[in-house]
Amino acid sequence: MDASLTLETGSGFWTPVLLLLGLVVCIVLVLIIRAFGEKSYKRGTEQTKPFLSGNAEGNKDAMHVRAGNIYWGFLEALKGYYTPTVGAHTGDVTDYLIWYIGVMAVVLGILLVGVLL
Amino acid sequence: MNGMDILMAVIGSVLVMLFGIFFGLVFKGIDRVLSARMQARIGPRVRQPFWDVGKLFSKENIIPENAVKWMFSSAPVLGLASSAVMLLYLPLGPLAPVLQGHGDIILMLYLLVIPSLAMVTGGFASGSPYAAVGAQREMVMMMSYEFPLAAVVVSIAWKLNVFGIANPFSITSIASNPIWMNSGILGIIGSAILLVVLIIVTPAELSKIPFDAPEAETEIVGGLLAEYSGRNLGIFYLADAVKTIVMGALLVAIFFPWGIAGIVGLAAGSVGAIAADIAFFLLKLFLVLFVSVTVIRTSFARLKIDQIVYTYWAPLTIAALFGLVLIIWDLNLLGIEWYPQVLGGW
Repeated sequence: MDASLTLETGSGFWTPVLLLLGLVVCIVLVLIIRAFGEKSYKRGTEQTKPFLSGNAEGNKDAMHVRAGNIYWGFLEALKGYYTPTVGAHTGDVTDYLIWYIGVMAVVLGILLVGVLL
Repeated sequence: MNGMDILMAVIGSVLVMLFGIFFGLVFKGIDRVLSARMQARIGPRVRQPFWDVGKLFSKENIIPENAVKWMFSSAPVLGLASSAVMLLYLPLGPLAPVLQGHGDIILMLYLLVIPSLAMVTGGFASGSPYAAVGAQREMVMMMSYEFPLAAVVVSIAWKLNVFGIANPFSITSIASNPIWMNSGILGIIGSAILLVVLIIVTPAELSKIPFDAPEAETEIVGGLLAEYSGRNLGIFYLADAVKTIVMGALLVAIFFPWGIAGIVGLAAGSVGAIAADIAFFLLKLFLVLFVSVTVIRTSFARLKIDQIVYTYWAPLTIAALFGLVLIIWDLNLLGIEWYPQVLGGW
């Protein structure tokens, strides 16, 4: 096949055109398989209501799970890292400048030691 | 690229996808039987998943009134198609990948995300609180297992690069130069650690117990699949079957790429040799999936989502990096005279 269609990424490589060709072929095949399935359902009946374990649906706007919850599991698992990090974000510019100068001092110190050695 | 190449790629894609669907469903049947036997149950017949798909396809395809309809219906299609595309880049025993030389294992890492993203999209498009919670958990889980998975891949490619193998990220190069080769004892231990890490990443990629928090039937009634039914659920079922074969084929390609035809004395390239190697490949595939899916899901209870994140970000990532360190030490020590004599010989 034509190597000029292959994109080199240094160590890696891929051919987007063939990836898309493969994806299109697979999508067509999936649609053919899907066409064998039952298409119908009873629109506007009880079966199209969301399943809420028997509870009545409240206001639709209030039923959404807020996006702020997305990373709960992630933040909970890594709270040992996030809690002090969030605490360091005081919103006070003076604190940020102290961090900035402190980190710069450490980096310069390391460079200085490296040069002297 | 000529017309014949394209035609062969198209035919190959169709055959490989049908292969993935068929053997994915066969493995699901075997998995259910073996899991049942381990729990002292009889379990269903091996062909039960085929009946399940048939039954799902005969049921009503309900689209909830709160759903974003086009997104809700297209997510399963994208999920199955993207799962099948990954098989086009993987060697299936003696059969070279359909798209050999047109994508590497980094591409595979990206493609592995797409079926999960399709499920997330479908979950958010369902308009159901249960599905939204499931979709959120799936996103968090994706962020968790990518790190150790990437560490495994980088470790393997790094070793091939050190040995001067061309295209170290190519799956064909990885399968042709098994990670166990040219290793001392530390390299073998490091490679075994990477194998264990990938075996534990596999059930998360497939949302199997103990990493099935996004579905969690007893807690969020199926999570991101809660509102799916009929043919849409059937297509997701098939996508899960195909992705199972993808993960198994990836494990086999990286860690167990050998054939059996040469060992039993069959002439290379003969029909008998190809048939023997395909049968051996399927045996290896089902064995690695038995360990990484059946044994694990039968042995453990479901973890909470924060426990899943911690498992992948702390112990498994550290384990993967430790495996890489052992492989680096091994290659450095191989140049020292005493090491191969004392600890080598593998």
